[in-house]
Amino acid sequence: MNNKNWNNRKMKDGLLRSLIYLSTGVTISILFIIIGFVLYKGLPGINVNFLTRNWEDKTTFVNVKADASKAGTDNQDYIASLGITVKEGEKNLIITKIDKKSAVHNAANLKNEAYGLKKEDIISKIGSDNTADMSYADALKLLKESGGTLRLKVVRPGGGIVPMFVSTIYIILLSLAIAGPVGISAAIYLNEYAKPGRILNSIRFAIQNLAGIPSIIYGLFGMLLFVQTLKMQYSILAGSLTLSILLLPTIISTTEEALKEIPRSYREGSYGLGATKLQTIAKIILPGALPGILVAVILSIGRIVGESAALIFTAGTIAQIPEGLVGGKSSAATLTTKMYWLIKETGDLSSASSIAVVLLILIILLNIASKMITKSFLKKTGNA
Amino acid sequence: MMSKKVSNQNKAGKAVEYTEVLFRVIFLLSALVSVLSVVAIIVFVFAKGLKPFFGKDAYSFLQFITGLKWDPNKNLFGILYMIVGSLFATLGAIVLGVPIGLLTAVFIAELAPKKLVSVIKPGIELLAGIPSVIYGAFGLGVIVPLINKISPTGQGQSLLAVICVLTIMVLPTIISLSESSIRAVPKSYREASYGLGASKIQTIFQAVVPAARSGILTATVLGIGRAIGETMAVMMIAGNNIGGLPTSIFSKVRPLTTNIAMEMSYASGRHQDMLFATGVILFTFIMVINFTLIRLTKRLGNEGPLR
Repeated sequence: MNNKNWNNRKMKDGLLRSLIYLSTGVTISILFIIIGFVLYKGLPGINVNFLTRNWEDKTTFVNVKADASKAGTDNQDYIASLGITVKEGEKNLIITKIDKKSAVHNAANLKNEAYGLKKEDIISKIGSDNTADMSYADALKLLKESGGTLRLKVVRPGGGIVPMFVSTIYIILLSLAIAGPVGISAAIYLNEYAKPGRILNSIRFAIQNLAGIPSIIYGLFGMLLFVQTLKMQYSILAGSLTLSILLLPTIISTTEEALKEIPRSYREGSYGLGATKLQTIAKIILPGALPGILVAVILSIGRIVGESAALIFTAGTIAQIPEGLVGGKSSAATLTTKMYWLIKETGDLSSASSIAVVLLILIILLNIASKMITKSFLKKTGNA
Repeated sequence: MMSKKVSNQNKAGKAVEYTEVLFRVIFLLSALVSVLSVVAIIVFVFAKGLKPFFGKDAYSFLQFITGLKWDPNKNLFGILYMIVGSLFATLGAIVLGVPIGLLTAVFIAELAPKKLVSVIKPGIELLAGIPSVIYGAFGLGVIVPLINKISPTGQGQSLLAVICVLTIMVLPTIISLSESSIRAVPKSYREASYGLGASKIQTIFQAVVPAARSGILTATVLGIGRAIGETMAVMMIAGNNIGGLPTSIFSKVRPLTTNIAMEMSYASGRHQDMLFATGVILFTFIMVINFTLIRLTKRLGNEGPLR
């Protein structure tokens, strides 16, 4: 009887144990499958062009001063008067090499702004002649023999993530600039000044609520208040303001944790030396809490990088480098919103996955950074 | 001479006092920003979302929440099937996610050797940090094609796909919160259990997990909140049909969140108001969840060692 019980228990234990292993296995394999999927789909699309180019092709007319005295060298694809080497493209010429002293570095667009040509720019019109209308040899000849100021139609190929990357960084900086000071000040108030009571309760209640609101609601709110009511249009400022509210709970609670870690005796020591409360905060508490605040900042960056629902209705989905804080030219897609837009509009899962690889790398770097800060902090205080 | 010095000191003292007060006010105002934000969010979203149900030419609220078809072109705005879709998807994610998450947490907190923990834990933190769009892409690239193979309806975008992706997305939350509450259970509980002759597994399931149950409950509620509020990943894989209750796990669904996100970019007038009204319903769900959560964490705070 006892033996039977014993066997029973062993079986039950074994069963539960295997369930535990199974679940852990499921969790870990999910992690591997997701990362594997992203890498498998995305890695082939990652190359120098993807990382360094604009998203859209850009067509510009430029004026270049050709040095006629150097014209007429025999070297086949080399255009001495401009100091560039070209190759044959599809009905156009592609710049493959540019001399150091080449005149095309000083090219200017029609508004007379500097627009230096780069490698891989495509020349599709020389003066008034389309390269599509002539053979490569003729186009080459035409270029070689032209002197004086030359007007070229240049297409700079896109397919890269630079605008989204820059926009993401802008939005990170802007959001942190808004939410950082507010969040840290709020944490200081909660930890150093507030006394139990109705104000403290309502602030805590509000923060807990903010943390639970889904980002699509933030998106709705941001669109209504910033984009429409305050007339900011789709812009990085509207996006950053929306994100700032979304970040507040993270920043406040992480900073508060850090402030709590500062021993009471530090404060008492400071007061004992005659320092005021503000001096104590500025010179003792904040420096001590710096690692915690840094972690709060890193966590916030992680959230901004991953956010999309709150941004599509506030910052928009245009792949361009924003040229202002508000208004028509300030709409910008971050990496995540572009990724979403790619899947939704074009079904292009491969390019989307290439962006995902970049995002994953960013997230991993942020995770490592916050780990390292926490670790070095623990070592310093001897709690390791 | 003497008196002058004193008055100077007084002046300096006053200046110090003045900045002290000034900063105190600044800190207080900063803290009040969050209160203001919550109020503003509620006021703005509700004001816009409730507009279509009042005044001349009002849309019946009853028709709105019991309607089974969403067709803005025909002035049909029914969201009952979306509410049902959202609830089913969330329920499914919790039913699958909580056991898997809890057992994984048990493994990390109780069974795994330290070295293994130092590998698994960062992995789970990474899982928590992955942007939801990536989960959506993963769902679209892996889960939807798989379901497509077994689905009788001949399409992969379905309730099942949503449940799978949401399960994955709630896992990190559930694992990390459950793990820390399991770790917080005092050692004496385990020792007492061993002392009574229980095995390790018995101790875990009869003593440790029950003692950590409020932390696990909090994790579950947080998971529900995350699942019901998730938008981007779900939008890519739900199918987003314009009407009809889901009849099986292979049916297309259209959760509340995706209804808003899909059409907001081009909606205007009543259509836009109705999307905000969808937001109001979603918000109401979230507030119920938030209140539950705040209650729970308050109780946890009073209970002592469990976080």
